[in-house]
Amino acid sequence: MIPGLEKILLKVQKPGRYAGGELNSIVKDKSGVDVRFAFCFPDIYEVGMSHLGMKILYSLLNRMEGVWCERVFAPWTDMEALMRERGIPLYALESGDPVADFDIIGFTLQYELSYSNVLNMLDLAGVPLLARDRQGLSQLVVAGGPCACNPEPLADFVDLFFLGEGEEVDCELVELYREHKRRGSTRAEFLRAAAQIPGVYVPSLYEVTYREDGAIDAVTPREGAPAKVKKRLMLDMDRSYFPESFVVPYIEIVHDRAVAEVFRGCIRGCRFCQAGFLYRPLREKSVGVVNDQCRSLCETTGYDEISLSSLSTSDYSALNPLLDKLLTWTKEEKTGISLPSLRVDNFSTEVMDKISSVRRSGLTFAPEAGTQRLRDVINKNVTEDELMRTVTTAFSGGWSSVKLYFMIGLPTETLDDVAGIAALGQKVVDAFYANPDKKKGRGVSVTLSASGFVPKAFTPFQWEPQDTIETLREKQRHLVSSVTTRKISCNYHDADTSFMEAVFARGDRRLGPVLLKAHELGCRFDGWNDYFSLARWREAFAACGVSPEFYANRRRPFDEVLPWDHLDYGVTKEFLRRECERAYAAVTTPNCREACSACGAACFGGGICHENR
Amino acid sequence: MKTVRVWFRKTGAACYISHLDLTHCMARALHRSKIPLWYTQGFNPRAHMVFALPLPLGMAGERESVDIKIEEDKISMEEVAQRLSRALPPTLPVTAVTEPVMKPGKIAFASYELRLEPEGETADELAAAFAALLEQPEIPVEKHTKSGMAHFDLMPYLGELRWSAGEGGLLLSMVLPAGSEKNISPFLLTEAFEKQRGVSFLCRAVRNNLYDAERKIFE
Ligand code: SF4
Repeated sequence: MIPGLEKILLKVQKPGRYAGGELNSIVKDKSGVDVRFAFCFPDIYEVGMSHLGMKILYSLLNRMEGVWCERVFAPWTDMEALMRERGIPLYALESGDPVADFDIIGFTLQYELSYSNVLNMLDLAGVPLLARDRQGLSQLVVAGGPCACNPEPLADFVDLFFLGEGEEVDCELVELYREHKRRGSTRAEFLRAAAQIPGVYVPSLYEVTYREDGAIDAVTPREGAPAKVKKRLMLDMDRSYFPESFVVPYIEIVHDRAVAEVFRGCIRGCRFCQAGFLYRPLREKSVGVVNDQCRSLCETTGYDEISLSSLSTSDYSALNPLLDKLLTWTKEEKTGISLPSLRVDNFSTEVMDKISSVRRSGLTFAPEAGTQRLRDVINKNVTEDELMRTVTTAFSGGWSSVKLYFMIGLPTETLDDVAGIAALGQKVVDAFYANPDKKKGRGVSVTLSASGFVPKAFTPFQWEPQDTIETLREKQRHLVSSVTTRKISCNYHDADTSFMEAVFARGDRRLGPVLLKAHELGCRFDGWNDYFSLARWREAFAACGVSPEFYANRRRPFDEVLPWDHLDYGVTKEFLRRECERAYAAVTTPNCREACSACGAACFGGGICHENR
Repeated sequence: MKTVRVWFRKTGAACYISHLDLTHCMARALHRSKIPLWYTQGFNPRAHMVFALPLPLGMAGERESVDIKIEEDKISMEEVAQRLSRALPPTLPVTAVTEPVMKPGKIAFASYELRLEPEGETADELAAAFAALLEQPEIPVEKHTKSGMAHFDLMPYLGELRWSAGEGGLLLSMVLPAGSEKNISPFLLTEAFEKQRGVSFLCRAVRNNLYDAERKIFE
């Protein structure tokens, strides 16, 4: 343990976040280790420990001989204050060694609002923030995760990014690092070589020039770096690595259960959903493999709940067979099964009876938009009839509360569409009272949850302006005033944070100085409402002479060079443009099981694109 | 169905987890160990677990215990000990599994040992200050209770306090009322000391044992 740490642990909230020593955490003998990897999650322990990707890569890297991967989380503000006061640097949980001593410092980028925490963690570690200030080979800062699809705002701080799924490319990079460490290469030599690994993007090897109107003129590779960096992915999910055990935390975390992954990708193509495009094509695991993985996880962790994870688990082609297979042993072992995502259109009581989570947590559905026209615009292929059938089934089954998720600020949205959200809520209420089988003596409660739409890279809406904060607020007010019964409650996300998310989601390298300034002004934990301050961010933008509206609220012409155009996720710009135009015409696109829309992802040579339909 | 008492220690990193987290941790370990347990009936079956007495956050425990109900025809007490040891992290070692002698409700006292290590002053200065604290006519403290904040004098409870000053700091040992009736944490004393001194020190605390009203050891 780091000297002085024990002295502060009892002065902070939840010291269990900082003590390490959990079951199944991996401690290696340092004398046999030549590459040390600090896997950093830029949020608190409870959030980071719930993340499946981190568990996979943690186990995978630790399977490598001579490599020791440890976990690092952002200390909450009380802990950070004490660490700074006492000169305790950011440390890794397994060894307690300072992060500054590590060879590779890896961040996973799950949401844009965690960027300020990335900088703050580097600072707390005593690692120079700017990539160009870091000398030698060690303290190599790498990053992956969904936000790496537009990594440009972090280009000044991160040495290299992993595009796509990390299972193979992370290990290849670690091997390359080991070789260059042995050879005594310079950082520049190593980075040049790393840029040749498919899926590795080294931002310092690309020069970005801008036009007078502020748009990008060109992105030019240097020193042999590829003109386009293509994402990596696992084609055979049955053969792809999955951990036999998870680190089991002492303290309660956000998702405190075993998680099995049933497939990657999504067939749907909802036009607002970045994950739906980034992870194409759909690749399923077979029932037997998922079942074995669940079994092994439950045995090594002792969890009595399994969550079947994916972007849309009820789309799994063998969901019922899988549930039946799991039930052959989970009942006996008193283990529950939960599905995190349900769709309106294939909800069945048959599935409901087999899973335990729904009873506890209530029913949630995501129609995303209030009117059929707007649902067609976003390609959320859910009809009102389907929703009504689903809630009626649920009400007959004894449920009396439903939560519906929507977005406001979607492209082409009018105030009528916003009022349509309230009207849909009302129809759900009416369906409850029209149902003869409803539970007696209980009222219905419908929650409408509306978040502000954030246009993202690699989606058909990547060219769209985001509604201004004022417009989003007006729509929120319109929604609230359209609700006429107390059986419906509304909640919505803060428009300020959606705005900042939109800025960074489609930002470019000119946001680097802004991030640095924001860090100096004390920005951190921006994903946490208590800490986010738009005023502080505005101050940072003003100080750097950068307009956040340029990124959030501007409509880009289709032919503009986008900051992520040199990155290749399979889906083509032509396809995205086609989808955008179909959106304007309110024309839907079939899902990948019904018909292929030639999005480009077939180039990877596997998954649903190459299966018989 | 038979109730057995599992004895364990709470050490190292495990001292930093709350009682609630310990119950989750134990439940998972029981599940992992595949010990045939007796479950409550109902929609959400739960294994029966009764901890003798929660330990305050930050304190180590030498004789902690939890009562569980096993299906005795399927497993022996030795095997419960072995399986549970394997399922718990090394910071929560199982020391024995026995048949319960006393009910947890009988617990009336607990014995503690504390080590106060000075921060930013010498051990002698800390000792002098502690002696001064004990010379006060009373030591006012407050604690949360079901009926709100209770204010009282700690002095009458310190009859069995023994302390000595050594190289590394102060060594305190004491026996205090504990259990569901009246529970007085030794941290009340260190907090009062801290407040009086206006500075902080590192306090390592361990609960050694539990007793009933007649001072018979809890078994
Ligand atoms: S190529 Fe066709 S099947 Fe494959 S992901 Fe794209 S749309 Fe779906």
